[in-house]
Amino acid sequence: MADRVERLTNLLALLLETRRPLTLHEIASELGGQYPDAGQARRAAFERDKASLREIGIEISSETFGGDRAGEMGYWVDRSGFELPDLELTEDEVRALQLSLAATRPDSAIGEEALWKLGGVGGGVGGPIRMHLPELPALPVLRSAVAHRHPVSFLYAGTTRNVDPWGLMLRDGFWYVVGFDHDRNDRRTFRVDRCEGQISVDASVEFERPDGASLEVALPTNPLLLGDEVEGERMARIHIASRRAWLVEREVGTDRVEDRREDGSIVISLPFTNEDALRSWVLGFLDDAELLDPSEVRQRLINWLESMI
Amino acid sequence: MAQRPATERLRRLLIILPWLMEQGEVAVEEAASRFSIGVDDLIRDLELVSMCGLPPYVDEMVDVFIDEGTIFVGVPRLFTRPLRLSEVEAFELLAAGRAAMQLPGADSDGALARGLRKIAVGLGEDDTGVLVVNPTPPIVQELTGAVENRLRVEVRYQSSSRAEPALRQIEPFVIFSSQGNWYVHAHDVGSDGLRTFRVDRIESLTVVGSAEHEAPSSMPDPGTWFADADIERVTLRIGPRGKWVYERYPVDEVSSADDEGWVTVRLAVTSLQWLARLLLRLGDSVEVVEPLTMKSVRSNAAAQVLRRYSVG
Repeated sequence: MADRVERLTNLLALLLETRRPLTLHEIASELGGQYPDAGQARRAAFERDKASLREIGIEISSETFGGDRAGEMGYWVDRSGFELPDLELTEDEVRALQLSLAATRPDSAIGEEALWKLGGVGGGVGGPIRMHLPELPALPVLRSAVAHRHPVSFLYAGTTRNVDPWGLMLRDGFWYVVGFDHDRNDRRTFRVDRCEGQISVDASVEFERPDGASLEVALPTNPLLLGDEVEGERMARIHIASRRAWLVEREVGTDRVEDRREDGSIVISLPFTNEDALRSWVLGFLDDAELLDPSEVRQRLINWLESMI
Repeated sequence: MAQRPATERLRRLLIILPWLMEQGEVAVEEAASRFSIGVDDLIRDLELVSMCGLPPYVDEMVDVFIDEGTIFVGVPRLFTRPLRLSEVEAFELLAAGRAAMQLPGADSDGALARGLRKIAVGLGEDDTGVLVVNPTPPIVQELTGAVENRLRVEVRYQSSSRAEPALRQIEPFVIFSSQGNWYVHAHDVGSDGLRTFRVDRIESLTVVGSAEHEAPSSMPDPGTWFADADIERVTLRIGPRGKWVYERYPVDEVSSADDEGWVTVRLAVTSLQWLARLLLRLGDSVEVVEPLTMKSVRSNAAAQVLRRYSVG
């Protein structure tokens, strides 16, 4: 039997070169003996080749004939859907892309292949400053849905969410998808690594992204404001011991400091929506931080600690 | 050696052929090493496609021949352009590029920015929806300057223990951001070895002189920065609400979840304070399995914090 690469190459060449759709019968006869003669085996082999080409990124187009060949399928490959358009990248631009991959996703086989296609090479060593990007299988699917404005649905915390994805955002090392949640009828933010299973995309619908749906605004910069089920925003007052004061002031900003005490400690006020996140943040300082207000949240924090003794 | 799958071979060929056609003539070795493929594999696959062809172009469709270790390409007919970028590849380039644009020193009108714009235009897609926000603390800028100018600096550093910040001299090599935190790999003058420091614990920094140590040829992988075997380990049972622990921290092992979603996790304990903070934050979503010596960490820490609240 001929090498399968040979048959695939010939099939691809034939379907690229043809000026009209070809039936499977015509394809088999052009490829002279490379496909089985028997109808069913031939169809199975052709379907396998179609799937292989699709895996490589080549879609075989098809249409159903009318007239005297009614019901028969014709196949071809659309060159424009197959070839990379000339992006007119200069050498230094390709080199910059390579460096950005080396700095953020070293050893990425996918990135290396993308660079080859652009005429560059992979590998290389990142500069002195790098960022480690997490890899998640859902990301390319979501990016494409964002770019084409297709709604998606996925399982999140045990429930199916139907979302118009406005955008993807990497913040503090995690990817978030921001969008309109149809079931909650409101804007919601989801951690991409917490989406369970497959993301399904409805390519038949194109949603409208509202004007001014700025991602930066959608995703609060304060981690205490994160959380999917956002209630109202409240203020917390926290006393921070002097030896941690500089650290906290740098994290939350000087304008959050409402009181400076003589011992060097500070009292800060912080907006929050997510009580769990607030408690977690305060306890991260052990006894160097004390939640003063709101008093009911303070009491629940005390109960939380007492349950551990 | 196992035969490479047909799809993998064809995909690689469709990347290599357009490049060869542009070169016209190139050494087999050079092409093989550029595309990370064995010389024998490359020769075999090129000979194979050069035999491909359909009437009336039998044997002429891909006009390639190899002689004396050199590949020659004739008149290009087919496969003159590489395949389109796949969704996965487009995301990889875009995310890497957008992330790198957030790093100090990135030029918003530089080659990277121009390249990213051309890719977005070429894909014909609206890619404004992918955003990377990674604020750079001022200390990172200062450390970058120290790396670039090969300087030794003195930092006031708060290690994760309860000690007051202490002065240490370091020679920074690489600064990186991982899962929201910035780290610096540096030669630590005090311990005379390579150490990793958390940038947010550096209170201040002063230049003290020129660096004396060369950067090592390889750096620890960001994900394994404190996976040293000599650091003590703890085994925890963690409930579904504590998922963030094994998402955020490097762990040695995570078991699969039981029916209630609890997992067993083994991870490095950088200090007992670190463990105490973790346990208090997790509340009833965690149990210490072993070692026995760490079982009392949670209740001791809870009592210590309660004293602060004038309770207990």
